[in-house]
Amino acid sequence: MVKFPEKIPDSLARLLVVFLALVAAGAFVVLVVIPRPMKDVRLQWADDIKREQAKPVRYAGFHVCVECHGEIYEMKKKGYHRDLSCETCHGPAKAHTEDPDKVKPVIPAQRAFCPLCHAYNPSRPRGFPQINPVVHNPLKACASCHNPHDPKPPTTPKDCSACHGEIARTKAVSHHVMLACTTCHEVPRQHKISPRSVKPSKPQTREFCGKCHAKDARDKMAKDAPRVDLSEHGEKYVCWQCHYPHSPEVEN
Amino acid sequence: MNHDLMRQLAEILPRIQGFIYPNEIEIHWGMLIVVYPYITGVVAGAFILASLVKVFNVKEVQPLYRLSLLTALAYLLVAPMALVSHLGHPERFYEILLTPNTSSAMAMFGFVYAWYLMAVLLLEIWFVHRMDMIALAEQHRGAMRFVYRALSLYSRDTSERAVAFDHSALKVITIVGIPSAFLLHGYVGFIFGSVKANPWWSSVLIPIVFLFSAIVSGIALVILLYMIINPLAGGKINMKCVDKAVDFLFYAVIVDFSLEMVDFIHRVYQSEEEIKILSEMVMNKLFLSLVVIQVLLGMLLPLTLISITKIFRKRFGASEDLRKMVYFLSVLLIQFGIFATRWNVVIGGQMFSKSFRGLTTYKMEFGGLEGLLYALGLLILPLVILTVLLKILPPWKEMKELRGGAAGGGLETAGS
Ligand code: HEC
Ligand code: HEC
Ligand code: HEC
Ligand code: HEC
Ligand code: HEC
Ligand code: HEC
Ligand code: HEC
Ligand code: HEC
Repeated sequence: MVKFPEKIPDSLARLLVVFLALVAAGAFVVLVVIPRPMKDVRLQWADDIKREQAKPVRYAGFHVCVECHGEIYEMKKKGYHRDLSCETCHGPAKAHTEDPDKVKPVIPAQRAFCPLCHAYNPSRPRGFPQINPVVHNPLKACASCHNPHDPKPPTTPKDCSACHGEIARTKAVSHHVMLACTTCHEVPRQHKISPRSVKPSKPQTREFCGKCHAKDARDKMAKDAPRVDLSEHGEKYVCWQCHYPHSPEVEN
Repeated sequence: MNHDLMRQLAEILPRIQGFIYPNEIEIHWGMLIVVYPYITGVVAGAFILASLVKVFNVKEVQPLYRLSLLTALAYLLVAPMALVSHLGHPERFYEILLTPNTSSAMAMFGFVYAWYLMAVLLLEIWFVHRMDMIALAEQHRGAMRFVYRALSLYSRDTSERAVAFDHSALKVITIVGIPSAFLLHGYVGFIFGSVKANPWWSSVLIPIVFLFSAIVSGIALVILLYMIINPLAGGKINMKCVDKAVDFLFYAVIVDFSLEMVDFIHRVYQSEEEIKILSEMVMNKLFLSLVVIQVLLGMLLPLTLISITKIFRKRFGASEDLRKMVYFLSVLLIQFGIFATRWNVVIGGQMFSKSFRGLTTYKMEFGGLEGLLYALGLLILPLVILTVLLKILPPWKEMKELRGGAAGGGLETAGS
């Protein structure tokens, strides 16, 4: 029989003792000292679950409203506000659905409400309908012209500037001031009524601008237009990669 | 809107550009979280330098061997302090060790850390110094004698067989240690790299970039410490050793720089939706810390400086003092560069809105647990610990060794 201490080097034996002591101490704490329920997440969750369950339900969801407000429900479903839930505007209405005569949801009739979503803000997605609340038909309630459950412009706007104010204002002080929007965009009538489903055309080719700017351009508006050699100028790129069409500028 | 809210807004708004979600205005991972990857980086890097001696048999850097081990230990002891202080309830940190959650990388930190500390670093240091400690216990009286006895675990075996065993044990530990050091710092990078929602962090390259910057910072720091401490302790700087170490540093910086460039080019080429806000952040908010400090001063300038000593080998070979100056400046610059790297990763990742439409600003506090003062304290603390360690386990004999190349002979202890 080999003698134990001879097989294992002295230093290793000492280290092993220390390590085993540490492991044993750790195991003792984890397995024995900490009571079993403490290691169970259910214990940690139990209070949370109770607390959450005890909270009153405040929102009913918009499908409930159809029972009693069927007309509004159907109307909203087809309009631009179809993605908004009723309670986004009317606030939590669970209590109202249970006792409609006693509890009434808020009606956000004041003018300050709609601009929360519709006031001009550069961080809103492109094409999101926005207005400047200070100049957009001031003093009157929004609902007096737009039905909040089926919002659309009450009358068909005559000018593009009603909705494209920024472009119109830019163009008005540019070299293209004399050009109507429709010179470059073909606008179907429907665009002014449902702008997002019917879109106007946009120029596609270099030749389009060439109508007035090519060396041999003959358009009646082309008289005063400065000329460039279409085959060379700007290489293969379309013109509006370098010139903003609504405010073309040339730095000399 | 009430008055209080207005006042708060007036204070906050100047910090914001563009659109930002309310929970992004304040930066929650502040200075302490910058300090933490910096410190663990030094640990991993210093250890890799030590393993050059043991595993790859680079005899020239033998004088740095013990110094780098002790440096690694000193920094490793401070690393968790930064994290624990950052917790809302520092006194509860041990709970995540008692109820391990294996599906959370962050919760596993304690185990990665404990493995590295206990299974690698302490073991290696113990084996290296075992014979020394026995000898030191003989030389001392009173309390210190007791300390050395306890540290050596009352081991007294000075037989040849025991020394031989120390040697082979060291070899095994170092071989296990290299992947462990990679694990330790790769892990830190992994924590950042796996945050899917954050395009500044989310990248498979991040753990590897972290690793190489760790190696860079660790080697640079040990060289720096050697160049300062050795003369203070009355030794003479062994230029053969420093030359060799700087060589390794040079290659590590090149790899690190290339990796970061790959990451950069990859981002620019992919040009995903976040590229606009990120480039705005880099050009405005991070210009000084990223472009100037991290890249120009922290990488390109040291690379150029070291290259110059290599290109004009004749001129620099002749003058050790000139070389010393260039090296000293380079490793110092690299330290600042790597610290800036950590800053840019941690703070940069929180400066842009996840809507990709706005930026916020990091407002550093001065006092308090998250403040500058405390962070500086944490950066100095490892040096204090190192001083104590150097007192207890003096590496002077090895550090003052001038012959370098000569197989470390003449040192009768296991560390050689
Ligand atoms: C059980 C039937 C019922 C349901 C379900 C119901 N309501 Fe009503 N609601 C009523 C009745 C009844 C009135 C009172 C009509 C009146 O006063 O002329 C009313 C009135 C309202 C009013 C006007 C309050 C006022 O001050 O005039 C709003 C707004 C309203 N409901 C919103 C909702 C919303 C939103 C939902 C869905 C979450 C909903 N209701 C679900 C029955 C219902
Ligand atoms: C965009 C916000 C908005 C949404 C979404 C909305 N409402 Fe309204 N609702 C209003 C406003 C504003 C008024 C007040 C209209 C007025 O003053 O003429 C109103 C009025 C009402 C009224 C009382 C007056 C009336 O026209 O009978 C009822 C009932 C009502 N809403 C129910 C609903 C229900 C049901 C839904 C969901 C299907 C809904 N609302 C969705 C804004 C909204
Ligand atoms: C919670 C945000 C929100 C609120 C509050 C809100 N809207 Fe809207 N509104 C929308 C969305 C979303 C659209 C659809 C945009 C689209 O189709 O791209 C829209 C579309 C519109 C349109 C555009 C129709 C068109 O022709 O393009 C009008 C007009 C409008 N809303 C008026 C109102 C009025 C009036 C109110 C106040 C009663 C109001 N909105 C409140 C979100 C809101
Ligand atoms: C006097 C009636 C009137 C009032 C009040 C009014 N609007 Fe309008 N709104 C219009 C008309 C008309 C248009 C069509 C564009 C134009 O001619 O200005 C329009 C267009 C809009 C559009 C569509 C823009 C687009 O790009 O599609 C939005 C959104 C809008 N209004 C929101 C509001 C909001 C919000 C309020 C309340 C703050 C409001 N409106 C008050 C008459 C009104
Ligand atoms: C009722 C408001 C309204 C009026 C009036 C209006 N537009 Fe628009 N227009 C829009 C909106 C909203 C969009 C954005 C659609 C989108 O991006 O989804 C749009 C988009 C466009 C586009 C871009 C289409 C694209 O494919 O990107 C052009 C061009 C345009 N309009 C031209 C005009 C011109 C020219 C006029 C006048 C003759 C005009 N619009 C009048 C609301 C309007
Ligand atoms: C000289 C020709 C020209 C005129 C005049 C012009 N546009 Fe355009 N417009 C363009 C071109 C070209 C584009 C396409 C740009 C692109 O694809 O990037 C465009 C794009 C647009 C767009 C969509 C892109 C954007 O910038 O939002 C809108 C909306 C638009 N025009 C509206 C108008 C309106 C409104 C007017 C009149 C006030 C007008 N345009 C006048 C040439 C013109
Ligand atoms: C219907 C004719 C017409 C079309 C089509 C047209 N332009 Fe013009 N453009 C003009 C006229 C006229 C001027 C000169 C106005 C002036 O300054 O007197 C002009 C001026 C310019 C200028 C010079 C601005 C300066 O600083 O001198 C540029 C650039 C320009 N247009 C670019 C374009 C581009 C790009 C397009 C195509 C999207 C285009 N134009 C389409 C008529 C046209
Ligand atoms: C690669 C960018 C680029 C593209 C693409 C480009 N341009 Fe230009 N354009 C310029 C620059 C730069 C100038 C001013 C310097 C010059 O005169 O060459 C200019 C000048 C002009 C001028 C004014 C010339 C004058 O004498 O004042 C006109 C008109 C013009 N461009 C029209 C066009 C038209 C039409 C197209 C499309 C067929 C186009 N550009 C495409 C860059 C471009």
